[in-house]
Amino acid sequence: MPKPKVSSDWMAGCSGCHMSFLDIDERIATVLDLVDLRSSPITDLKHPDETGVDVGILEGGINNTSNEEVAIRMRKHSKILVALGDCAVFGGVPAMRNFFTIEESLRRAYIETESTDSSGKIPDDPELCVPTRVRALQEVVPVDVFVPGCPPDADAIFFVLSELAQGRIPVLKDKNLMWQ
Amino acid sequence: MTKLTINNKPVEVAEGTTVLNAARSAGIEIPTLCEHPHLTPYGGCRLCLVDVEGARTLQPSCTLPVTEGMVVKTDTDKVLAARKFVLTLIFSERNHFCPFCQVSGGDCELQNAAYHEGMTHWPLQPNWQPFPVDASHPYIVMENNRCILCRRCVRACGELVGNFTLGFEERGARSLLVADLGVPLGSSSCISCGSCVQVCPTGAMLDRWSAYRGRETQVEKTQTVCAGCSVGCGIDVLVRDNNLVRIEGNWGAVLNEGVICKVGRFEPLAEERNRLLTPLVRKDGKLKAATWEEAFDTIQAKFSPLVGKKNDGVAAVVSTGLPLESVYAFKKLFADYFQSDMVTSTEEGDYTSSASAFAQGSGKPFEGTRKDLQNADLALVFGIDLVKEHEVVGFFIKRNIPNGAKLVVIDPAVNSLDILAEVALKTGKTVETNLVQGIIAAVINAGAARTAASGVSESEIKSSISNAGCSPAELDKVASLIKSAERPVFVYGKGISEDTLKKLIHLAEITNSKIIGTKGGANSLASSQFGLESRIKLNGHQAVYAAFGSEEPSQHIIQQLEKAPFLVVQSAYGSALTARADVVLPSFTWLEQDGTYVNFEGNIQKAAKSLIAPEGTKSDLEIFVALGAKFDQKMDSDWMKQLTGKVAPVVIQG
Repeated sequence: MPKPKVSSDWMAGCSGCHMSFLDIDERIATVLDLVDLRSSPITDLKHPDETGVDVGILEGGINNTSNEEVAIRMRKHSKILVALGDCAVFGGVPAMRNFFTIEESLRRAYIETESTDSSGKIPDDPELCVPTRVRALQEVVPVDVFVPGCPPDADAIFFVLSELAQGRIPVLKDKNLMWQ
Repeated sequence: MTKLTINNKPVEVAEGTTVLNAARSAGIEIPTLCEHPHLTPYGGCRLCLVDVEGARTLQPSCTLPVTEGMVVKTDTDKVLAARKFVLTLIFSERNHFCPFCQVSGGDCELQNAAYHEGMTHWPLQPNWQPFPVDASHPYIVMENNRCILCRRCVRACGELVGNFTLGFEERGARSLLVADLGVPLGSSSCISCGSCVQVCPTGAMLDRWSAYRGRETQVEKTQTVCAGCSVGCGIDVLVRDNNLVRIEGNWGAVLNEGVICKVGRFEPLAEERNRLLTPLVRKDGKLKAATWEEAFDTIQAKFSPLVGKKNDGVAAVVSTGLPLESVYAFKKLFADYFQSDMVTSTEEGDYTSSASAFAQGSGKPFEGTRKDLQNADLALVFGIDLVKEHEVVGFFIKRNIPNGAKLVVIDPAVNSLDILAEVALKTGKTVETNLVQGIIAAVINAGAARTAASGVSESEIKSSISNAGCSPAELDKVASLIKSAERPVFVYGKGISEDTLKKLIHLAEITNSKIIGTKGGANSLASSQFGLESRIKLNGHQAVYAAFGSEEPSQHIIQQLEKAPFLVVQSAYGSALTARADVVLPSFTWLEQDGTYVNFEGNIQKAAKSLIAPEGTKSDLEIFVALGAKFDQKMDSDWMKQLTGKVAPVVIQG
């Protein structure tokens, strides 16, 4: 059996889930023995090629049109899509802004912040992506595997990767199942 | 008995048992959220759904009574799917994003239930409707966004405490937990007992002092007894790295069955007084830090010539909140060795002296126990506000009122229970003997006396009623309430005169009522048994020794003691008196020392220390033993003989 090809990307998250992935320490050698890591935000190659991958991993919620593109592209290119971390699974910390309107959030971020002077201005360049309500990954594309946690424990991530590498869909339970 | 099968297992339980409890008795686990063993089943969350053969839909097992031959399944695919669906609905109703919540990671029953069902996510997203957060209360934060509408808090507030502060407004998804009629919790009728926080399955009712300080898995739990007052409730003290995290009512405690009041739950956490950490000795007019040896030597030098002097020797005052062993050592040192005529407690016998005198006069205990209180269908409360002190006794009375129990409050002052009373008698300055005599007359007049009350003439009855100080109609109402009650209880507090108490006991006798004195501090009864009941009055005493423990000295005591020529204060916290003292001895708080406490119903209870005291302080007993050694006195712990040596108002046991 050829090594399964794996690709990862991040959206509206803090990159903590990828840090937790690196936290598997020397076991990363085992993972690389088992899988073919094609692209990720922490490797030179950022996007999977057109031929696609077996497993796509996404961190973060979806809070603008750019994230939507990332999610849709990853879904199109992967056989199995993994939502990694609370933001991808539930919306997480970014989703807390859903309790306010987008205008309120932007005003707070670009104008009302304590460190902003009178020149504060909400960016309006037409080339920028458009902010949306923050959504969990499953609200935008179908998801196959949910790995909750803020961030998921390194052990849980290693368990998920090793199960996927061996051709099984991981079933998270007991100490691997933690929402935070 | 009813026979049924659950998961093909034959089960036999008493008639009327719920399917949930039947399953539990057979060792079959059914997950629950709104259900609580100490509250009436409500059937609100639907997590406990089970499959009952012949039933049209899944049934909530917490409210469903067993029937003969019932066939129940708790683990079918349909049930498991329903559980996940129920949890999904609850999660998507409000803000249940775990990373922000202090109960996440083991303390949240909702999260634990989802983990138990192996849920990695929930398929429905919330509608992002924000709900109000009420942080107006000094101890409790009401976070409606995390509420799952299980109404445990509402039921605890009503059923366990009888306070009925919490309730819901609106319906369905808009349901909102509110205090009273929607006022901020901090200005509501809440009495801060915290029972709502203790039963909340999620983080919706938050104890602001303990939130984020540590989870159940990270703390050490000590089962002990509250020394806040004479009730002596069972408590669990949660400590992490010697930091007080939280105090909870012990559900297993026979006395209070999980409920406690703010004195035990919140006040030790909100402590703001200055902790005393080193002995202080006054030198050249100023209090300076000293060693224990210096402090003891100073006391010894001053006290040595005063041994055996009665009215110009050492006056001594002890807090009734100290462990019995310490109170006993105090009594031995100052009453037996120094032979001072003024050795007393901070209570000065206010709660106990009349009852103690009566018990010794009659030669037998006359008071009932908390069981009589809990079973009472009529409570007559004399001169004590059970919302301001001895609150748990108040809970026992208040929670019976919705079940038909009646309340009569006899208090010259405004009483917090007036509003719940059928009759609130307001006369004179204290509970007058005449008033009780008037009630006795009205009872005889109404034919409510259960034992023959002979020898009372018509004219005596008439004059008693007219001298009572309140309207005959009110007395008649009280008499008719007593007449129709089966298990009346009289509760009296402090300041009752011996004459009035005698009348009250007579009234209890002729009406077959029980009578209970609340007593005062945690060792009020023991202090009374040790004879520490005289009034504080300094006349010629050359020195004063005051041991306060965790008690804050009252204005009255400060006024009495501050004029002492030489003042020694033993206390855990700084006060106006430690500032005035000549020697200050830093002692342990009640949470830091083991000890024995005799509660209001005469139960001898052991308290275990839950915190390690700061270095440089000593336990009250250690201080008395060390001080005794300075005078070659051994502080034997033979207190049992003294405690039970004379007749007490209640049977002392345990």
